[in-house]
Amino acid sequence: MTALDVLAWGIAGSVRDTGRRGLAHLGRSRGGAVDLASLELGNRLVGNPVHVAGLESSGGLVLRTRRPVLVAVTGSPCDVTVVDGPPLGWGAPVALPSDATVRIGRLHGGARSYVCVRGGVVAVDGDRLDVGADPGTEAASQPAVPPRLEVPVRVWPGPRLDWFARGALDALVAGPWTVSVTSDRVGVRLDGPSLVRVRHGELPSEGMVEGAIQVPPDGRPIVMLADHPATGGYPVVAVVDPADLWLVAQRPPGSEVRFTRPR
Amino acid sequence: MRILPYGPRASLVEYDSIEEVMAASARLRRAGVAGVREIVPAARTVLVVHDGGVDRAVLDAVLADVAPVELDHGDLVEIGVVYDGADLAEVASLAGWSVDDVVARHQAVEYRVAFCGFVPGFAYLVGLPAELHVPRLATPRPRVDAGSVAIAGEWAGVYPSASPGGWRLLGHTDAVMWDEARARPSLLEPGMRVRFVAR
Repeated sequence: MTALDVLAWGIAGSVRDTGRRGLAHLGRSRGGAVDLASLELGNRLVGNPVHVAGLESSGGLVLRTRRPVLVAVTGSPCDVTVVDGPPLGWGAPVALPSDATVRIGRLHGGARSYVCVRGGVVAVDGDRLDVGADPGTEAASQPAVPPRLEVPVRVWPGPRLDWFARGALDALVAGPWTVSVTSDRVGVRLDGPSLVRVRHGELPSEGMVEGAIQVPPDGRPIVMLADHPATGGYPVVAVVDPADLWLVAQRPPGSEVRFTRPR
Repeated sequence: MRILPYGPRASLVEYDSIEEVMAASARLRRAGVAGVREIVPAARTVLVVHDGGVDRAVLDAVLADVAPVELDHGDLVEIGVVYDGADLAEVASLAGWSVDDVVARHQAVEYRVAFCGFVPGFAYLVGLPAELHVPRLATPRPRVDAGSVAIAGEWAGVYPSASPGGWRLLGHTDAVMWDEARARPSLLEPGMRVRFVAR
């Protein structure tokens, strides 16, 4: 039964679960929420299993409830306006009545916010969202602590570091890098100093992981995200530590990214 | 064989040939090393993604073994083809054969899936007769239909979805190569055997 109407999808508004792992050998990457940690946090707050679907938004998403639902907002801090319902802050489960309207406005500091609903989004029919059965597990009793998004991102040497001039990893760490407006769910594209290649041959396509930092011939790195191609033919100079990948996924266009070596 | 670093949760292993890649991935699938999440073969490499708790010494020992291995028997998939591809005549001319010869020889061999890539469900098949090793198009087509049966270089394959593409088109199939709703979304998986049959 429909529980939520989407009045506006806004920027990059979509329904996302944690995606599918284990299909890379069939040419398919994980897909799903770009910032997994934030989707999983939202699900834990409303008492869901962590993998179920919620809404991903870069702003402008407007929802109306058709029945009472428990929701939580995570990911990037953002302006949230509720009409005909209680205030909805970041990182805490809030019970909304029927006919409440929730608007995700401007994001502050991050690139993607998540709206998770108890039961999870189980079906999408145009602008109507069905929400699943009550999971029966308790919602969080404490709000989450907003994370710091502007911290350096740890990087490890990649498989093709030797395709680049000596000191490429230092150059990556030195930066500075700015997130390009052409970034999307495939990857975060970075503008900055060009990473100089010393090998120019063709690389047969090879498997890539999320967080791989691939460098096309123009020298501008791309950090691979949820919808990355399962294989790629440009050399991977470094790889983002899996624990820090969500930090890259949260950098909005125009913002700075700093890398650091793990200690 | 070279094991290349790929962060705390993966290794990329480079081999000298597609035969070594296929042997290594078959050996890895069989070994069932605890903690291994994904085994992703490609043209000259195998990517191994693990959960961080894997015993690196055990994993590295399996990866380092490049001795030939008897490949899995592998399921045999028959793909029905209508040989009406736009590049048939050109391929025949490049091979120095008639179109009928190309069609016959494309069906005469058993292929094996070496790896998948490019788009979900796009299987790179080895086994193509050497005379049919034709270069890909100088300028890729902006759109190739789903189900297009094609060859390029040492590879044979079928486009699972409409996409740009530079392979030479021999025909088309109605087989559904990729369906996300299926328990096994890809009709072709690494290690499987494949035959093309004229319809």
